[in-house]
Amino acid sequence: MITVGGQQLPWSEGMTIADILADLDDGNQYAVVRVNDQYVSRPNFGKTRVPDGAQVFLIPMIAGG
Amino acid sequence: MADYKIEEVKSFDYERPEIKNGYTDQTLYVNLSDDAIAVKPVAEKTKQTFIGGRGYNLWLLWRAVSADTKWDDADNAVCIASGPLGGTPVYPGSGKSIVATLSPLTGSVMDSNVGGYFGPYLKFSGFDALEIQGKSDDEMIVFVDGVEGRIHLFKSEGLPDDAYALSSALTEHFAKGKPRNISVVSAGPGAKNTLMGCLNFSWYDNKRKRARYKQAGRGGIGTVFCNKGIKALVARWDSVTLDTNSPADKEALKEVGKLHSREIVALDPKQNEMSVIGTTHIVTIMNDYDTLPTHNFRYGSHPEAPNLGQAVYRRIFDPGFDGCWMGCTVACSHGIKDFVPMTGPYAGKKVFVDGPEYETVAGCGSNLGIFDALAVVEMNFYCDAYGLDTISVGTSIAFVMECYEMGLIDASHTGGLELYFGNRLAALELLHQMARGEGFGKIVGQGVRRMKTTFARDYGADEKILTDIGMESKGLEFSEYMTKESLAQQGGYGLALKGPQHDEAWLIFLDMVHKLFPTFDDKAEALHWFPMFRTWFSLCGLCKLPWNDIVPEDNKDTDEPAKVMKHIQWYARYFSSVTGRKVSADDLIPMSEAVYNFQRIFNLRMGYGRRAHDTLPYRAVGPVTELEYESRQQRYDEVLKDQFKLDIADKSIAEKVALLRENREAEYRKLTDAVYKRRGWTSDGIPTQATAKRLGIDFPEVLDVLKQAGVDR
Repeated sequence: MITVGGQQLPWSEGMTIADILADLDDGNQYAVVRVNDQYVSRPNFGKTRVPDGAQVFLIPMIAGG
Repeated sequence: MADYKIEEVKSFDYERPEIKNGYTDQTLYVNLSDDAIAVKPVAEKTKQTFIGGRGYNLWLLWRAVSADTKWDDADNAVCIASGPLGGTPVYPGSGKSIVATLSPLTGSVMDSNVGGYFGPYLKFSGFDALEIQGKSDDEMIVFVDGVEGRIHLFKSEGLPDDAYALSSALTEHFAKGKPRNISVVSAGPGAKNTLMGCLNFSWYDNKRKRARYKQAGRGGIGTVFCNKGIKALVARWDSVTLDTNSPADKEALKEVGKLHSREIVALDPKQNEMSVIGTTHIVTIMNDYDTLPTHNFRYGSHPEAPNLGQAVYRRIFDPGFDGCWMGCTVACSHGIKDFVPMTGPYAGKKVFVDGPEYETVAGCGSNLGIFDALAVVEMNFYCDAYGLDTISVGTSIAFVMECYEMGLIDASHTGGLELYFGNRLAALELLHQMARGEGFGKIVGQGVRRMKTTFARDYGADEKILTDIGMESKGLEFSEYMTKESLAQQGGYGLALKGPQHDEAWLIFLDMVHKLFPTFDDKAEALHWFPMFRTWFSLCGLCKLPWNDIVPEDNKDTDEPAKVMKHIQWYARYFSSVTGRKVSADDLIPMSEAVYNFQRIFNLRMGYGRRAHDTLPYRAVGPVTELEYESRQQRYDEVLKDQFKLDIADKSIAEKVALLRENREAEYRKLTDAVYKRRGWTSDGIPTQATAKRLGIDFPEVLDVLKQAGVDR
């Protein structure tokens, strides 16, 4: 299982961040996601695999300095 | 520590007024030429129009100087203020001080905001703002003792020069056993020997038992401070509670403060973790979106950038609560303990380093082609200790590194320093030279604008390429975002009042990634609304981070997520509960608009503030060289074909570079037109008389400036 935005979801081998967001109604809104301690940006969503047991945080907006 | 002497020159007793609803309604005036000390009342009209903080500073500065005043004239003033909400311990981000002066880099008005305890302690001691004019040949200390109700002027000898040792020494000297009651403002030798000096504002870290500091970095305010002969400012105040600021409605304040504080505690761990990693998460995110400046803003990403990212600083920051004001739950002011510099006067000694933040990492790291986190920490430490702005230092060294690699300057100019990108030891040596005012460092310390003149005039370098790659506007060095692909952020930098600093309009991500401003009108509206709202924080004594760096979970579902309206409504409640002046969210923008336009007219008065001053180096707009174009050729080809509808089939790279430049520069001009119109300005970028009247800043002397500029309606 993984936790995505506080919700428990089943994990599968090879699952990427893009796979997770594709199943969310508002998945296309996120430009950055944090997987445990690692920040991942949209250009890397498709190539970043999510490990079993991961905590996935959906970062709502990057507002900067 | 060396022996030092602090000798009183003058003292001045005053009766500390009761603070009422966030205001003391008086300011403190000090003149170092004749040791004059006076208390000035704040008129009701001033209070209603300028609100506090930056607004008060600008009004004091306007009255202190004339159109002919230069930064190093005795008449120039350094003004420091909190704001009506400043010093509130229950609302996150409520400890900012705002500083203003005439800048040595730009020649015009400069403002900068900073954490630490000085502004709130100054207010609680009885003064909404401090204005220092005049000059002294001695090294002067101004001590505002709010506990005793006395102002002291001291002359000093033998105190440490660097801010790291000086903050500690003066905290200990004035503390009377309570170091948390002391805040010190100081600069350092770099501020004295360059034009890009910063100010360090201290607070006492009870857990670590040391004075720490934050920086008012931009525009050379520290240089003015040293030029006046100020060694340090010290404020002393005792305990701070919710009642200290005397809010109009304490219960309402507690309620709204609790809402925002608790939300941050709940959501920061799920969002950006600023209480753990500060702003360092931005490094890799900017890198991923090709907006992290590398190699003097030539490119926006580098494979080694993760070496400078949050994963590294997460490990080396000293864990603990790091709020730069009491009770702030963002608590992002992290530091590194037991750091051992490899160069300079502290080589081999353990020091505590405050920082780094994103801007320093990008400016003194990636933009110099340095991807060694510890080298960045060392640059950070010495910039602070020397009283140098990490942004201007980084952007200036990046410029000379590119000039060196392009052959525009060589080792005969640099005193033998091999200033190629990535040479961390050369960068550090240059920093030490800047602080000492020696060698090539003396030239670099004058900033990018003056270096361009020197390199062209004295070294025969090509003026056109220097203009294109010298990253300054209005004389101020760019802060650390690569703006080529965001027209809105180009406007955010080029159309900013003081120069290219992100605190006015940070739109790059909202524009480029979230695509929130697709049309010119959308961008113009953003370049009206965001600078105005961000200005509001500087009027009130607030930090902007709690507004939009940690946002409500349902924010994305609101009509205007970029504005974070729920928080703006909280800020309106916060303002009402402290000041007793009932406002709604809609009332906040007009408050800022008055001050913002006043500052624009102030620029005009000083000989700036027109369209000709709102320009950008082309490096901020598009690829200067064929190499840059080729590095992102697919992107630029698509822009030419799809956005500008051009047939580029037979075009060479050089022709495509020229075509892109022609079209992008036209877009920037078009954006400028749209923004001026939205702000109520003439096509030359001057607020109209009607705008001044609408905003209540139609003071006779303001209208005179407009009339002299040919604006008669």
